[in-house]
Amino acid sequence: MTDVKTTTEPLLSIRDLRTYFHMGSVTARSVDGVSFDVGAGETVGIVGESGCGKSVTALSILRLIQPPGRIEPGSVIAFEGKDLVTLGDEEIRNVRGNRISMIFQEPMSALNPVFTVGDQVAEVARIHAGVSRKEAWNRAVEALSLTGIPAPGDRAKQYPHQLSGGMRQRVLIAMALMMKPALVIADEPTTALDVTIQAQILDLLVGLQKQFGTSILMITHDLGVIAETTSRVIVMYAGEIVEQAAVDELFAKPHHPYTEGLMFAMPHIGRDQERLNVIPGTVPAPTAWPVGCRFRERCPYSWDLCEREHPPLYQIGAGHISRCHLAIEPERRNHPHPPLVVQEGAAA
Amino acid sequence: MIDTSAPLLSVRNLKKSFPIKKGVFGRQVGAVQAVNDVSFDVAPGETLGIVGESGGGKTTAGRAILRLIEPTSGSIKFEGRDVCALDTRGLRAIRREMQIIFQDPVSSLNPRMTIGAIIREGLIIHKLAQGAAADARVKQLLEEVGLRKEYATRYPHEFSGGQRQRIGVARALSVEPKLIICDEPVSALDVSVQAQVINLLQDLQRERNLTYMFIAHDLSVVEHIANRVAVMYLGKIVELATSEDLYREPLMPYTQALLSAVPVADPAARKERIILQGDVPSPANPPSGCVFHPRCHHPAKDEACSRIVPPLEEKAPGHLAACIKQPPTIVSWEQQQQAGGVRPPERYLPIAAVH
Amino acid sequence: MLTPIRGFAALSGAARVALAVLAAIAIVAAFAPLVAPYDPAAQPDIVGAKNLPPSAQHPFGTDPYSRDVLSRVIYGARLSLAIGFLATMVSLTLGVAYGAVAGYAGGFVDALMMRILDALLAIPRLLLLIAILAAWTRLSVGALVLFLGLTGWFGLSRIVRGQVLALTEAEFITSARALGASRRRILARHLLPNLISPIAVAATLGVAHVIVLEVGLSYLGIGVAQPEASWGNIIHDGSDQVATLWWMSLFPGLLMVLTVMMLNIVGESLRDAYDRR
Repeated sequence: MTDVKTTTEPLLSIRDLRTYFHMGSVTARSVDGVSFDVGAGETVGIVGESGCGKSVTALSILRLIQPPGRIEPGSVIAFEGKDLVTLGDEEIRNVRGNRISMIFQEPMSALNPVFTVGDQVAEVARIHAGVSRKEAWNRAVEALSLTGIPAPGDRAKQYPHQLSGGMRQRVLIAMALMMKPALVIADEPTTALDVTIQAQILDLLVGLQKQFGTSILMITHDLGVIAETTSRVIVMYAGEIVEQAAVDELFAKPHHPYTEGLMFAMPHIGRDQERLNVIPGTVPAPTAWPVGCRFRERCPYSWDLCEREHPPLYQIGAGHISRCHLAIEPERRNHPHPPLVVQEGAAA
Repeated sequence: MIDTSAPLLSVRNLKKSFPIKKGVFGRQVGAVQAVNDVSFDVAPGETLGIVGESGGGKTTAGRAILRLIEPTSGSIKFEGRDVCALDTRGLRAIRREMQIIFQDPVSSLNPRMTIGAIIREGLIIHKLAQGAAADARVKQLLEEVGLRKEYATRYPHEFSGGQRQRIGVARALSVEPKLIICDEPVSALDVSVQAQVINLLQDLQRERNLTYMFIAHDLSVVEHIANRVAVMYLGKIVELATSEDLYREPLMPYTQALLSAVPVADPAARKERIILQGDVPSPANPPSGCVFHPRCHHPAKDEACSRIVPPLEEKAPGHLAACIKQPPTIVSWEQQQQAGGVRPPERYLPIAAVH
Repeated sequence: MLTPIRGFAALSGAARVALAVLAAIAIVAAFAPLVAPYDPAAQPDIVGAKNLPPSAQHPFGTDPYSRDVLSRVIYGARLSLAIGFLATMVSLTLGVAYGAVAGYAGGFVDALMMRILDALLAIPRLLLLIAILAAWTRLSVGALVLFLGLTGWFGLSRIVRGQVLALTEAEFITSARALGASRRRILARHLLPNLISPIAVAATLGVAHVIVLEVGLSYLGIGVAQPEASWGNIIHDGSDQVATLWWMSLFPGLLMVLTVMMLNIVGESLRDAYDRR
């Protein structure tokens, strides 16, 4: 899975996506100039902490951004020969749930409590395939059985509250796969689930992806989930992509200090560590990103250049890019210093 | 420094059941066994981790020990004192020595009190300091948990999740407890912030010789911080061992599945995993015999597992597990055969469970 | 977050205007003897000065007893606002006490108290009041306040009970217990301060509701008795000749609508500020 698929025409191609939230006098630049591709059949991961812009990126692709949020003019989301940003309302609805579908984090709130799960899965087929009620129901039961729900015919007649968290997530997956979409966006699909149920769901997603050749955009804060399910990883920080690489390369040779920090901040089973590595401070507010490098104040390597110049995405290796000036002065990595933020926890 | 000569906390046969009520006047129609016959000791200075999935009873056990919910039966001894026998006055006094830190950094702080008032409350209740002395103590506590002392006049909503968690820690420390029950203290936090709070807890433990009961669903966090780990499933402890033993040699099939399910942040280490079938059964209607038997993958699983309640017994020195198919066991093969057993116990440790 | 002071800062612009309007009405009502041009009960010329349309001398006209309507509306504001405020105080006290006890006690006590409440809520308030007030002829204003208050706490106690139940689940309450706080301390320091916001919302809307009720009852002739002036009984006095004595229902009516609207705006804004925190 190491090869980065470089088909002539990527399935999804995002260029300079900027999604801003205009709140009176301040503007939150939640997604601030993001560009990446997803190839056909590829699983791409987006990883980052809360507030980095990964979920807003996902919602922007399906144009699910509500005012005061807005996709800024000049942003391009090319998908199957169309620019989703400029698509009419009718046309974007034809894409949603049909060519691109989404799996949300919280399966309970993503389902309507007053309809049976079968009705809700069937509705997708009613909307996009225009089939009869009976046919839609049959397809729904079939989709539910694909996701490994036992006795799908009976389960389809139940309401969301009668199902466990894992079962509800399977229902959402059935809805997402109903129309055999080209792309599935999974936004923290297992975060609300217990670990053994998470294993079931990830196993299911990977299996279905192999079976149907669907592309998956996996959005998560969990590097473990990224390592186990994706072939290429995008690391986001402060509304920007800070690093992108094939999954093996990223874990073996993380370049950006933020990626590195994330990896060492996590305890690993079987790794003996006295203390965990800490990234001091917190993600800055999207209304006031720092000038220069946005990670500068939390970074152990930063120097004057980082304050002066916002780093571009440097090419590090084949398919490996990083938004860090260390690319041009690599020897500075050997001389870490305490980060600038004198912040909670640094002293403790 | 762990002192194993006498336990700080000793829990025996702890049970907590919640009635299931129905109808206009809440007639009891059944009971959920949230904690079902749980026994363990915690030595002074040690960290006992408690892991398991939701519905396992970890949180209920933690709160029952503090009598924040009344245990149904069993005994809880803190430094030899019987916690269950205490009256209101005695309970208030002992709560000075046992504290709790919560998971949710939002709901665990009163939105209408300043940070200073929140931290000061324990000092006032237990008459530890007053007036200027209390102010000074609050500032000192804030600095100890890595916050600025000026924060005392602010309100909780002005702080991030990690900072709120630090405030919760300062509140618990204010009464100088010996034992702190940490109930999922980092699971609501981002990875980098999580590391900050874990390091803080470890530093405080070293400086003050604190004892922790660390409840979490994240197995890697627990391995990092705990000396010993108890695994709970459907209200029971199914395995209890030192952290090294448990993660190197998990004996209870549930622990094996749990460990194998953790996604590993290393693509080079992709491996086989044990995928459990089905969901956790309802604690209102737990399976007979071994509560894990319907989902169990042990090759020797048979009828006996559904009939015999497995005792939590020593499989190796200091390593307890509840499984009649994992030798050695005091449930003899004859007894198992009488209960319909057809496969004799055999040692089973799948490679997928070992990290 | 909504401390009382920052609560006002959190109010919307519209709500601040509404609050200013309400304050103006309240001040005029409070200083009625200084503001009103005439004695509201004086009948200077029952023949010559009755039923006069609005003029420079009588901006709101006069009534069939030759009394100045403007003066009566000003004194009426005093009574209508006072009744609204006091009756709400009565229902607030009862509702908070009942709801807090039920929510905090829980179990069988709670179940029983809630079933009693269900029964009370099943009786329409207006019908209940009409029955009571029709049975007692010529009721004092104090008794009217009492009856309005006594019938107005059912819904509020439900809100309070719900809030108490939600709050007792909150971990900061558990934490206070873990620190060894007494029941009284938890109630005073943790429960009540967090109940103030929803109670303030309910009370503001409650005052508006009582004002409308009083006007309705007085209009029916079973509320505030003559010669006292209330917005309701001014309308009542002109009710048999609405078409000709239009000023008698228009001005007190407008004032009532204005007051109630302003109260609702403040209430809604308080609710928004509370939800936002």
